Amino acid sequence: MVGTSLRRYCGCLLVPVLAGTLFVGTAAAHGGSLGAGGRESIQIPTWLFLLTGGGAVGASFLLSSFVTDRLFVRTFHGWGRDAIVPARRLLVVLGQLAGLAGLAAVLVIGFLGPDAALANLGLLLVWVGWWAGFTMTAYLVGNTWPVLNPFRTVARVLPTLDWPYPDRLGAWPSVVGLLALIWLEVVSPLADDPRLLATTILGYAAVTLAGAFLFGPDRWFADADPVARVFRYYGRVAPLTRDDDGVRIRLRLPGSALTDARLVDGLDEVAFVVALVWVTTYDGLVATPLWRGFATWIVGVGVPPAILYPAVLVAGYVVFLGAYWLAARGARRLADSYVSTRVLAQRFAPPLLAIAAGYHLAHYLEYFLSLAPAALAVAPTPLAGPATGEVPIGVVPGWFGALNLTFVLLGHLLAIWVAHAAAFDRFPGRLQAIRSQYTFTLVMICYTMASLWIVSQPTVTPPFL
Amino acid sequence: MTGTDNPTDRSGTTAGNDRNPVPEEYDLPPDADPAVCGYCGAPFADEELLALHRGIDHATALDAAEREAFDEAYESEEERLRLFRLKALGALVLLYFGLLMTYSVFA
Repeated sequence: MVGTSLRRYCGCLLVPVLAGTLFVGTAAAHGGSLGAGGRESIQIPTWLFLLTGGGAVGASFLLSSFVTDRLFVRTFHGWGRDAIVPARRLLVVLGQLAGLAGLAAVLVIGFLGPDAALANLGLLLVWVGWWAGFTMTAYLVGNTWPVLNPFRTVARVLPTLDWPYPDRLGAWPSVVGLLALIWLEVVSPLADDPRLLATTILGYAAVTLAGAFLFGPDRWFADADPVARVFRYYGRVAPLTRDDDGVRIRLRLPGSALTDARLVDGLDEVAFVVALVWVTTYDGLVATPLWRGFATWIVGVGVPPAILYPAVLVAGYVVFLGAYWLAARGARRLADSYVSTRVLAQRFAPPLLAIAAGYHLAHYLEYFLSLAPAALAVAPTPLAGPATGEVPIGVVPGWFGALNLTFVLLGHLLAIWVAHAAAFDRFPGRLQAIRSQYTFTLVMICYTMASLWIVSQPTVTPPFL
Repeated sequence: MTGTDNPTDRSGTTAGNDRNPVPEEYDLPPDADPAVCGYCGAPFADEELLALHRGIDHATALDAAEREAFDEAYESEEERLRLFRLKALGALVLLYFGLLMTYSVFA
């Protein structure tokens, strides 16, 4: 989401707001973007670099097809250790308090703190602390959002009408909500303007609390709330999970739970997983020079930018969804199976979450490391801004570009393996299981190449915004 | 696999298509002539896949003939898997050297 804001920080804000210090100047050049680091380390033609990435995914599919021992695959994915959480109630209360305090800080500092994005702790808390840092903990450690979520804590003490949530709506409100949030983030200066951000959070709070009031907080956060769903899905990649009543936590191999057939049990949930993958791509895509050229041309032809951005957001999403559906249909045909396309689409959607996590890490680790010092520096005087008038920015070493590309690839490799394991769980024939993955692998190769291309492009500010 | 293994009330029904309607997760084309599992009603494209399915999902309920069919299907699949592995190895080698050559020319 904040690919855009990173661009804006470094391109528009960082220099005018905090210019004059050599330190920041260097940071702007280095932390410029994911792409900037990537470009430095790539001395080969772009097409060859993309081909290598696609080849790596293809090779990992071939390699995983050598593992045909069902028992081994099942044991591998079933591995886990349970433990009882000590002082659970205390931890939950502390977590809830932390969430409430965080929300209060974001709102108060957002409205009353400094105007400059990098000097405003509220804004840094949201983008650097929450969307970059906290999201990473969701897929690297475990999902703690249900405890931390301040809206949930508030909704729980408020009365509720407990209307029955319409089942046919399913996860669709969260799909629409996610696309809408990303659209807002891309087209508005949400990552630069603390007042606008705080106002948006109030708007989100109003919708969320109203929803929880009508349908009950449990149902609202389980089905309709896009943010809770994002963290829940990312949490499925993580090594730590808790059982339903939260008494025990379970340690498992990262990604191993993505083979579970119950994770995604409807087309609405498939749509959400695909949306999660698409929005990260869209966010990167609108910052490429190619998009700038395309947008300039199409606006010149007479399409207003206010229509262009949402139209491409929806059109691209439909293309992604269509490609995935075709892959599921192809899998049914190639595997010579009578399992419905719908069931296959559901079964092979969770592995995509590993891809989304890898892509998120590639986007935001560098962002987090370079801006976390800024957040720490402004923390002592949140309302007055930094005492010295300047904010330190961390400088990541040059090899970070290569690391980011590695994260993208690792996400895809994990997805290939998990899909392989899920296929072995789904189909009785081993060769049949391997065949079912041809189309999914093809889609993943295309997607890897597209993601790597975006990551390798120089980052520019999206035009007409 | 899908929690369909329930040997207590299904053992002995080897062709109970009427008693076991096709489960919801399957979608049969109108012209299909599936081999149907007598335990759970799951349809398969051929007898071999059905035999494999029975051996994996209803392992505890099989009679001697079904077990033998499973072993046979498993063996025959093993042979085709060996061939597939050879092809996959070939593809890997091709991919590796293809990329190596491309790099030597363009990078």
